[in-house]
Amino acid sequence: MGKIIVVTGRGGTGKSTFVTLFARFVNPKSLLLIDLDPDGSLAKMLGVDLDKEGKLTISDALSKIIAKGKENKGKQDTPDLLRRMTKDGEILHRDKKFDLMTLGTKFAPGCYCLPDEMIKDAIAQIEKNYEMIIVDSPAGLEHLNRKVTPDIDDLFVVLDPSEKSAKHIDRIKFVAKGVKITYRNFYLVGNYRFTPLESPVIYRGDVDRKCSSLIEAGVKDSSFLTGFTDEIEAYLLRTGERYLGRIEYDPRVREHNLKGESLFKIPEDSPSSMSVKKILREAGYGLVS
Amino acid sequence: MARKIVSTGRGGAGKSTFVALMSRYLKPPSLLIDLDPDLSLADMLGIDFHKERKRTIVEALYDAVNERKSGGSPLTPVEDRFKGMIWGDCVYEGKGFDLMTLGTKDLEGCYCYPDHLLRKTISELAKNYVNVVIDSPAGLEHLNRNIVSEVDDLFVILDPSDKSLHHIKKVKAILKEVGMMYGHFYIVANYLFDEEAENYFKDVGETYLGKIEYDKGVEQYNLKGESLHKLPEDSPAYLSVRKILEKARVI
Repeated sequence: MGKIIVVTGRGGTGKSTFVTLFARFVNPKSLLLIDLDPDGSLAKMLGVDLDKEGKLTISDALSKIIAKGKENKGKQDTPDLLRRMTKDGEILHRDKKFDLMTLGTKFAPGCYCLPDEMIKDAIAQIEKNYEMIIVDSPAGLEHLNRKVTPDIDDLFVVLDPSEKSAKHIDRIKFVAKGVKITYRNFYLVGNYRFTPLESPVIYRGDVDRKCSSLIEAGVKDSSFLTGFTDEIEAYLLRTGERYLGRIEYDPRVREHNLKGESLFKIPEDSPSSMSVKKILREAGYGLVS
Repeated sequence: MARKIVSTGRGGAGKSTFVALMSRYLKPPSLLIDLDPDLSLADMLGIDFHKERKRTIVEALYDAVNERKSGGSPLTPVEDRFKGMIWGDCVYEGKGFDLMTLGTKDLEGCYCYPDHLLRKTISELAKNYVNVVIDSPAGLEHLNRNIVSEVDDLFVILDPSDKSLHHIKKVKAILKEVGMMYGHFYIVANYLFDEEAENYFKDVGETYLGKIEYDKGVEQYNLKGESLHKLPEDSPAYLSVRKILEKARVI
């Protein structure tokens, strides 16, 4: 069975950015990526166009099956059909380095219990084919309650520098304990807003240009991006959880995300790439050479 | 009938900040509802829900279920027990606004039931207020549950990324499919926008109301968990939110 890695955190902290760079630099024999976010865009960050590839999200596949079922007057077995679709590759996108499966957006009324149940089933069916599985979680905590992955090897929480992130850590543990999700390692990762502006790893010129509106607003020092870096980093160290370091601010990530371009194209020696590699090494992962 | 206002957007865009800042300008009495299980609106308003001896919707629901199991007439349904608790236990009364929050659930399963109970009680609660403001959780799932089927003003808070554009499209598609009606659909830029990004979103065909200006105070107050209501009214964040609300004719 593959090693199961889950990346979670509050909204907008950079979970998908981390997952994308994680996938790029880690070096397993076989890798499956799962985007559990209905509002997700992991595919795009990976440089994959699922529409063009003719691949369906789990939510789309379900709608399709249900629509067909109505035509056939209910003579069908949804989990069975979905299993067949997974096997036929209608849902699974195959890339050079990784395979990708996404939950997708549901347009019908109701919650994501059924799509989540289906993706759980699909994971169980194919997980043995992979040495490593990385799950990109949606923001919020509700997905945890549904226990899509009950046994996690490494759980990464990506944090922004606010008190809310600290409380978020407690809530994750509260829910995980309540619904009996187990994890072997609990890792904290600081996001780009922990980077001090005067930090040497930043391309200073780019920052000045990209944040011009902030600088005009009178923001001169590091506090725009950080809000008391040292204080918060010290706090994280005190939580008793393993803090692996921060993903450095990188204007190129911002630029690529605004344009919807793949993060696989960011130079390997850029601050974001370097720092994610460092974090992975810290957690004991083997990296691409 | 109260004016129903919903603030939504991608994670971390600044939905709760917008609601917290907005609440200062609303004509009282207003009811604020935090639908985010990762609750933070109360924090931003400097309210410690438990210290105030208030309970979240989820907690009240647990109590209603337990009470039914442990005693009292089995003929009283959970829903009625819950309704009996909501005013006394779940509504925090502040200056000019009241606050309710969904809370975090630690049982397996989704938030359909707590959301369902809210949907059933919201219209009754709304009768007592001039405004009802809903702070949505990140993600789109809550929209699928159609908690308020008729919204007056829907604000989508954007971060400067291509993903926000997709988010707008998805929000509209879901609203249409689940049959949620809205009077106005507004887009609002968050503090991370620069001119390039603003120009980009001005042309997407939605009513663009402007940008919530960057405000060091907001960041500092959030970090320390202090009420945003203590921030001076002439701070950049407040001035810009005020302008946005005037454009939307909320004030």
